[in-house]
Amino acid sequence: MFSSLLRKNLVAHLVLSAYLLITLYPLVWLSISSFKTPREITEDPWGLPAQLQWQNYVEAWQTAKVSTYFLNSLYISVVTSLLILLVGSAAAYAIARMNFPRMSTMVYQLFLLGLVVPGGALLIPLYRLVQQMGLIDNHLSLILINTTFALPVTIFILAAFMRSIPRELEEAAVMDGLGAVGLFFRVILPVSSPALATVFILNFINIWNEFIMAMLMLSKESLRTLPVGMSVFKDAFQTNYSLLSAAIMFSVVPVVIVYLILQRKIIEGVTAGSVKG
Amino acid sequence: MNKVLTRLFLFLMFLLPAILLYIVFMGIPIVESLYYGFFQWDGISQKKFIGLHNFMELLSDETFRKAFLNNIYFILFSTFIGLPIIICISFMLSRVRRFRQFYRTGVFLPTILSTAVVGVLWLFIYHPDVGLLNTVLRLLNLDSLTQYWLSDPNWAMISILIANAWQWNGFYIVLILAAILNIPREIDEAADIDGASALHKLRFITLPLIRPVLVVIFMLSVSGSMKALDIVLVMTEGGPFGTTEVMATYMLKKAFQEYQYGYGSAIAVAIFILTLLFAWVIQLLSRKQKEVEY
Repeated sequence: MFSSLLRKNLVAHLVLSAYLLITLYPLVWLSISSFKTPREITEDPWGLPAQLQWQNYVEAWQTAKVSTYFLNSLYISVVTSLLILLVGSAAAYAIARMNFPRMSTMVYQLFLLGLVVPGGALLIPLYRLVQQMGLIDNHLSLILINTTFALPVTIFILAAFMRSIPRELEEAAVMDGLGAVGLFFRVILPVSSPALATVFILNFINIWNEFIMAMLMLSKESLRTLPVGMSVFKDAFQTNYSLLSAAIMFSVVPVVIVYLILQRKIIEGVTAGSVKG
Repeated sequence: MNKVLTRLFLFLMFLLPAILLYIVFMGIPIVESLYYGFFQWDGISQKKFIGLHNFMELLSDETFRKAFLNNIYFILFSTFIGLPIIICISFMLSRVRRFRQFYRTGVFLPTILSTAVVGVLWLFIYHPDVGLLNTVLRLLNLDSLTQYWLSDPNWAMISILIANAWQWNGFYIVLILAAILNIPREIDEAADIDGASALHKLRFITLPLIRPVLVVIFMLSVSGSMKALDIVLVMTEGGPFGTTEVMATYMLKKAFQEYQYGYGSAIAVAIFILTLLFAWVIQLLSRKQKEVEY
C-alpha cells in the first residue's frame, strides 16, 4: 500500500499542490476581494462576500478611468505587436533566406547583442530623444521604443523558424514567376504563421505589461496605460480596497484569458532556443 | 540556387526598417549614455565636461553603495533560496504524469502579469491591517509575527524579494522542466535498472545534464537582478529610508527628480558594466568544467 503510493508520486503531488496553492492563492484572494464591500475587506479579509459587488467593477471602469487605460493599453499592444511582426519578419527573411551569408551573420549577431542591452540603462538618452522628437505624450514614442526592444527576440525566433523551411518550396514558387517580395508575402509568411502567432502573443503580453517607459513618456492621464494607471491608483485609492482590487482585476483577467487559451504557444515561445543553451 | 534572392538592394530594403529603429532607439542611446556620464549636466543648461569625476564620486557615494548591495541581495536571494526551490519543483514536475499540464499552467501564471500589477497586488497582501499575510498570521494565532512589512526597514527588502520571486519562479520552472523533459528516456531507464533513487538521479543525472540551462537561468537572473526596477518603484520607491534602493531606482531619482543627467548616466553605465562583468565571470566559471555530451 505504502509503496504503491510512492510509486504514484504522492509526495511529489503533495509538494506540487502546496506550491501551486501558494502561487495561485494571492490571485484568488484578489478576485474574492474585488467582489466585497470595503467594510467586508477590513472586517473579514479572509471570508467570502455576502453579496457579489459587481458595482466595484462598474465604478472602477467609469470613475477610476480604467476604461481609458484599458483602451490605451489595447491600442498600443496591438499596433506595436503588428509593427514588430512586420519589421521583424522582413529582417528575419533577409537574414534567413537571402544569399548574403556573411552580411546576414553579421546583422544577425548585431541583433542578438541587443538581447543583453539593459533597457533601463537607456532611459535617460531615450527620454531626451523622445523629447527632441516632440513625441512626449504621444503613443508613437512608446510604439517605436517597444518595437525596437522586442526586435532581438523576435528576429531570433523567426529566423530560426524560417531557416527550417525547405528550399524546394521557394524554388517551386520561383518557377511560377514570384520575385523576392512575392516569395516573402505569399510563401514565407503563410508558412511561418505558427511562429508569427507565437511571437505576436509573446510581444503582446510583454507590451501589455510594460511599465517604466509608459510611465516616463506619458504624463497625461488620458494617455496612460493600465500598469501606469494601477501604480497611480494605489495612492489615490488608499482606503478603497474594493475598487483597487476590481481595477487590478481589469489588468489581470485579459492576460490570464489569453494565457489560458494560448498557453502551449506561449510556453513554446518562452522555451525557444534556451533549452539547448 | 535561384537568382531571385541575390539582389543586394532587396536584401537591404528588407533589413532597413529594423536596422533604422535599432540604431535610433538602441545604438545611439547606448553611445549617448556613455557620453553623458562624463559631464555635469542638468539637461537644460550647457554641459560641462568633468572627465571621470562622476564615476569617482560613485565610488564614494554611500547611497549608491547601498543600492548596489541591494542588487546583490536580489542575486543572492534568487541563487541560494530561489534556485534550489525552482529545481526541486521542476524535478518533481518532470516525474509526475498526472496533472503535469495543470501544475505547469498554474505556476507559470504570475510570470505573464505586469510587474506593476504584481507590485500593487503585493502591496495589498503586505498591508498591515487588511493584507493577506498579517491576516493569515492572526488566524494562526501568531499575532506576534505580524509586521509592517514594507515600512519596516528590517523587512522591506525581503518582502520585495519574495514578491519578485513569486512573479518569476514560474518562468524558470518552465525553462528547467523543458530541459529535463529533453533528456533521453534511456538514461533514466538505465539508472532505474541500476537501482538509483530519485535523489541520486537528481544529483548525478539530471543536474549535470541540464547544466547549460542552469547557466542560462543563472545568467538571466543575475542580469534581471542588476536591472531590478519596476517592482521596487511600485512597492517602496526605494524607501523606507533608502533600505530598498537599487541602482536603477537611484538612477531614475538622480536623473528625473534631481535633474543630474550626467550623474544618472554614470549610474546607468555602472549598471551596464557591472552586468557585463558578472555575465563574463559566469561564462568563465561555467566553461571551467567540461561540457556534458549525450
